[in-house]
Amino acid sequence: MAEQPIDLRPPEHRVERRAIGLWVLQSVIGFGILAGLLTAAYLIIGPARSWLGPILVVVAVWGAGVTLVMPLWRYAVHRWEVTEEAVYAVTGWVVREWRVAPISRIQTVDTIRGPLEQALNLATLEVTTASSRGAIKVPGMDAAVAAQVAADLAKITQRTPGDAT
Amino acid sequence: MTADPEPVAADLQPVPAGDEVPWQRLDTRVVWVDSAKTVLSMVPAGVAVVFFGAEISWGTMGPILVGTAVGVFGGLADLLRWVKTRYRVTDEYVERRTGLLVRQHRSIRRDRIRSVDTSAKLRHKLTGLRVVTVGAGQHSAAGEAALTLDAVRVDTAQRLRQELLYGGPAERTSEPEPQAVTEAAPRPDDEQVFARLERSWVVYNMFSVWAFLMAAGLLWGTYWALQMFGLDPAGFVRGLADWEAIGTAWTVVIAVATVGVVGVVGLAINFFTENWRFVLARVPGDRGTVLRTTQGLFKTREVNRDDNRLRGVQIDEPLLWRWMGMADTTVISTGLSIWSMTPSAQILPRGPVSVARRVAAQVLETGESPLDRPLRPHPRRALRRRVGWALLATAVVTGLLAWLTTLIDAMPGHVWLAGLGLAPVTLALAVVAYRSLGHTVADGYLVTRSGAWSRSTAALQSRAVVGVTFRQSLLQRRLRLATVQVTTAAGYGSYEAIDVESAEAVDLADRAVPGLLTAFRATATEPAGRAAEPAAVELQARP
Repeated sequence: MAEQPIDLRPPEHRVERRAIGLWVLQSVIGFGILAGLLTAAYLIIGPARSWLGPILVVVAVWGAGVTLVMPLWRYAVHRWEVTEEAVYAVTGWVVREWRVAPISRIQTVDTIRGPLEQALNLATLEVTTASSRGAIKVPGMDAAVAAQVAADLAKITQRTPGDAT
Repeated sequence: MTADPEPVAADLQPVPAGDEVPWQRLDTRVVWVDSAKTVLSMVPAGVAVVFFGAEISWGTMGPILVGTAVGVFGGLADLLRWVKTRYRVTDEYVERRTGLLVRQHRSIRRDRIRSVDTSAKLRHKLTGLRVVTVGAGQHSAAGEAALTLDAVRVDTAQRLRQELLYGGPAERTSEPEPQAVTEAAPRPDDEQVFARLERSWVVYNMFSVWAFLMAAGLLWGTYWALQMFGLDPAGFVRGLADWEAIGTAWTVVIAVATVGVVGVVGLAINFFTENWRFVLARVPGDRGTVLRTTQGLFKTREVNRDDNRLRGVQIDEPLLWRWMGMADTTVISTGLSIWSMTPSAQILPRGPVSVARRVAAQVLETGESPLDRPLRPHPRRALRRRVGWALLATAVVTGLLAWLTTLIDAMPGHVWLAGLGLAPVTLALAVVAYRSLGHTVADGYLVTRSGAWSRSTAALQSRAVVGVTFRQSLLQRRLRLATVQVTTAAGYGSYEAIDVESAEAVDLADRAVPGLLTAFRATATEPAGRAAEPAAVELQARP
C-alpha cells in the first residue's frame, strides 16, 4: 500500500466509473453557463469589452483545465466504506477530506439523485449527524448500491440507542 | 391552522388529543400596555403642534409623523396579536396558536426544550409582565427561538420556567400556585455565584468603532428633535466658536473628537444599562443544575442554560482587545442560539481574560481547567502557509489595482503601489495567526485555538463529538500538514485544530475520540485504544 498522507487507510469501495462522466458533465455545464453569459455580455455591451475579454479568456482556460483534470482526480480519490461502527468516506481533489461518523451519532440517511445522476443511474449518499457541519456526502455511487446502503444504515442506526447529539 | 411559514427545528408533529388542558390567553395587562403605547406614541406630535405651534407638514414633522404612525399601528397590531394568541402546556407539549391572516400552530415536545428565558422591557417591568422564550432545536447553529409568549405575569413566567425546565406538574389552571413560585426561587445557600458585574469592565466596552456609529445616530436624532420644536441646533453650534478662524483641519479634528466622546459615553451608558446587576450563578433545579445569568437596568434579561446540555466553553480574544487583556466568554451547549443579537451562549460581558479563565474553570468543574493547559504549538511550516496566503493576497490586490489603472484613465498611474502597502499588514496577521495555533487533549476535553482577527480558544468535551473530518489541500500535503475538525451538535457545530503535523493528525483525533478511528488506521496500533469506547449517550432514541 502506498504511503498515505495521513495515518488512515483508504476506505474499501471506489465510486462507480460512470461518476467520471457525471463530473465531466457537471463541469462542462457549469462553466458553459458562465462562459455563455460572459460571451453574451461581451457581444452586447461594447464598452465593457476591454475588461470582459481577459476575464472570458481566464474563465475558458480555467474551465477547460478543471474539466480535464478534476473528474479523473476525483475518481482516484473518492472512496467509501460502511462498517458496523462507523461510516467512512474520502472525497475531494485539490482539497481532500476524510470523514468518519460513528453509527451511534447518525440522524438521517438519504440518497439524492439530481437530473444528471438519474441519467447516469447514479446517486449521492448523504449521512447527517446532529452537527450542522457534519454531513458525509458520497457522490457517484450506483443508484441501487446507494439505496441498499441507505436501507442497511437505517436498520443499523435504529438498533443503536441514543439521541445522537 | 396548519400553515407554518418556517420549518423550525422544533418538530411539528401532530399533537395527540390533550383536550382536557384548556387554552390560555396571554395576560390581560398586555391590552393596557398596548393601549398606553398607542396613546403615548401620539404625544410628541401633539406636544409639537399644541405647545410649539408646529405646522403639520411633511417637511417639518416627517420623522415625528412616521414615528407616531409606527407607534399607533404597532400598538393596534399588538392588540390583535393578543386577541388571537392562545397557549397551553400539556404533559407532552407546549403549544401556541397565533396569527390573524396566517394561522400558526406551533408545538414543541417538552423533552426537546433546551432553555426557558424570561426578559422584560421597561413597559413589562412597570406592569409586572415578562416575556417567556422557550428554546428548542437540534441544529443549534440555525438558532431560532422556537416559541415566545409575549407577555405573561411574573409569577406565571416563573412557574412556566419551573415546569418546563425541571419537569414540574403540567399547568392545569390559570391560577398561580404560590407554592410553585417559592420552589422556583432557589435557596441562597445552594446558589454558586461565579461572577458579578465589576465597574472596571466598562473600560473594555467603551472603545469600539461602534462609538462613532452610535454617536452619529444620537446626534442626528437630537438634531431632528430640536428642529421639530422650532430650535436651531445648527445655528447654536455655529455660534459656539469662530470656526472660520480655527480653520477646516482643526474643525474636522474637533468634530471627530466630539463625536468620539459622545459615542464613548453612549457606549459606557449602554454597557451599564445592559449589564446592570449582572450575576452569573449555578443554580440547582430538579433536573440537575442550570447556569443562570441575570442582567439589565430597564430591560432585564434572565437566561437559564441547562447544565446537562453543557459541552464546553469558548474564550474569544479579538485582536486589539487582546492586548488590553480582554475576552468574551461563551458556553458551548446544544440548543443555544449562537447567531442571535443577544447571544444566550455568552455567559460574561466583555471583561478581563483572567476572570474569563477563572469562570471557565468553575463552569466546567474540572480539577485543572482545560483552557489553562499549555497548548502544543503547531509546526513551523504552518507559518509558511500563512505567509504564502499573505503574499498571495497582497499580490492579487496589487495586480487588480495595476490592471484597473490600465483600464481607467482617471486613476493615477502609481496607485498600485498602495497594494504593496498591504504587505506589512498581511504579513503581521500571518504571524499573529500562526502564533494563535495550538491544541491539546486533556481530561476528556479537546482544546483548540486559532484565529488572526479574533483568537478563539475552545474546550469541547470528547463525548460531544459526533464525527471527525481531516482536511488536506495540495499545499498542506506538501508541507506535511493537515486540519483536524471534530463536528458536534453544540455551539458552532465544528471545532478545528488547523495545520497540525500530518503524521500526528490521526493520533490527535484518536485521543480526542477514543476508538472511533482504530479500524481505519493505516499503521496497526495496539488495541488499547479500543478499551475506551465513546461515553454512552444519555437520553432516549430519536423516534
